Amino acid sequence: MTGRGHETLEHTADMGLRGWGGSPAEAFEETALAMFDLMVDRHGAAAETDHRLSIGGRDLTGLLIEFLNELLSFADIEDTAFVSVRIERLEGGGEEWDLDAVIGGIPRGKCRKRLLSEVKAATWYGASVGRDSDGRWVAGCVVDM
Amino acid sequence: MKVEVEKIGEFLWEIPRSGRMRVPGRIYADGESMRFLLKESGTKQWDALTQVRNVACLPGIVGASMAMADIHPGYGFPIGGVGAFDPGEGVVSIAGVGFDINCGVRSMLVDVTKERIELNRERVAEELFNSVPAGIGSTGTLRLSVREIDRVLVEGASFALDRGYGVEEDLEYIEEGGTVAGADPSTVSPRAKERQRRQVGTLGSGNHYLEVQYVEEIFDEEAASAFGLLPGGIVVSIHTGSRALGHQIGTDYQSVLRKASAKYGIPVTESELMAAPINSPEGKRYIAAVRAGINCAFANRQAISGLVRDVFKRLFRLDDGQIRTLYEVGHNNLKLETHDTAEGRRNLLVHRKGATRAFAAGRMEVPVRYRRVGQPVLVGGTMGTSSFILVGTERGMAETFGSAVHGAGRMKSRKKALREYRGEEVIRDLAGSGILVRTRSMKGAAEEAPGAYKDVDRVVAIMEGAGVNRRVARLRPMICVKG
Repeated sequence: MTGRGHETLEHTADMGLRGWGGSPAEAFEETALAMFDLMVDRHGAAAETDHRLSIGGRDLTGLLIEFLNELLSFADIEDTAFVSVRIERLEGGGEEWDLDAVIGGIPRGKCRKRLLSEVKAATWYGASVGRDSDGRWVAGCVVDM
Repeated sequence: MKVEVEKIGEFLWEIPRSGRMRVPGRIYADGESMRFLLKESGTKQWDALTQVRNVACLPGIVGASMAMADIHPGYGFPIGGVGAFDPGEGVVSIAGVGFDINCGVRSMLVDVTKERIELNRERVAEELFNSVPAGIGSTGTLRLSVREIDRVLVEGASFALDRGYGVEEDLEYIEEGGTVAGADPSTVSPRAKERQRRQVGTLGSGNHYLEVQYVEEIFDEEAASAFGLLPGGIVVSIHTGSRALGHQIGTDYQSVLRKASAKYGIPVTESELMAAPINSPEGKRYIAAVRAGINCAFANRQAISGLVRDVFKRLFRLDDGQIRTLYEVGHNNLKLETHDTAEGRRNLLVHRKGATRAFAAGRMEVPVRYRRVGQPVLVGGTMGTSSFILVGTERGMAETFGSAVHGAGRMKSRKKALREYRGEEVIRDLAGSGILVRTRSMKGAAEEAPGAYKDVDRVVAIMEGAGVNRRVARLRPMICVKG
């Protein structure tokens, strides 16, 4: 694994996500991008709208699951395909982590041909956030397709 | 850790009780299927046999943690999983229902000849594709207020019927009459309702579909006659669920049940198997929310069935009497049911995750018209292979709490399917076999390629061989509309 990145993992019915980076924030961003890549063809896509998201009061893994699920709900309600994410703040400890993020999107009506798949939810199955043996932060879970 | 199994019947395998398992695991499979499952157990990051074993560890589970022959890995429960729980000591688990609450199939009999469909295949496909909203972010013709969504959650199919979708007779042929009792809209978040306001009457995407099929073969003349199935007869099947509302209910209750697992000291063998005691405030709220989700799915399929009905009436000059709902049944469900067990007759909360209720002849839940033969079970195949109509059996009641498979069952991951198939080629190959596919997503077509699934004929043969379900008819697709 290089400095930061993401991948999807084989799962028969659904899909595993994994994102990694030098900090929890980077690992979260990469996991979110792994999920976006299932939903929309981001290649060459430029965000047209910015959306702010703040969540908190969870342990780190709980925060990841809530973050991903917030993105799914938000995309649905805003009728938007998300193509970029920037976590501006991710801090805390123990059971009390918080994050603020800015998500870049394109109205679905303007990018119908880019839409790929629907993700129903991020689950706790295989969910984890932690450091690997190289000291990188790695996050991931299975999403219901 | 590799799971050990013992063969206890020609098509039945057992994971013997050990460790924290409260009951054994039981899997319906033939030798080849079991070899595949065993190969994955202990080598793959997630495998279905481990999931069967984990479910067997949940408090209050009765009989066995079971998996039907379409078993494959899910999250927490396997797909094809069935778990029945004692309402007093047992728990309710999100993983046993899934995020697409009451995803299921409605099949309708249409009084038009196969030849007329063949002659107008393109037009029928186009009309269905244009009339039934499908695909990511699609919205329905119904635009509902939150107050109206509350009515959907309580009234189910009746709500859509009142809005002019379908006919009164449809309700008799929907599981639960199209409305399950005990739904409480106050247990469903405003966000879930908001997401659903424009999604009632939408098919969705992924493995959801709308198919025009014909009856290719009849196996059980008596049941087929009771169901109204004739050789060559046209059946239209709708596969969809509770859409965004169901997804959001599952999402919202993950944190509730996760906290409940800790609060009530429920041993969680795997994190998605979070659960709450059925009698706890958290459990009761989740069950009431699931019932609201069940009704939402009933309303959704009723609305779509109305759109489909209008297409066939318009194209073939049919009247409502020439289009009849054969049956509608869910396969991601949570139901309070009465079953005869070794300890006598008991009320049980039955989770079916990718498994279909399959009640035998005589059960009061089966429509009067079918009661002497049993409940129709609607098993979706793939775009290129057959679907089946099965019927429940007495043995199935005794062994599986009256359950059946729900489809062919995936064999290849979506990633693998995308590596092996191209959507355009899949659609061209199917056209060569006389199956016209209309889809908005070529990626979806590749993921859902028939080769990504198990052989549905073998899957239903396993269940019939085990005596749990009986084949009534095989349906062959002619037109497939996908999101």
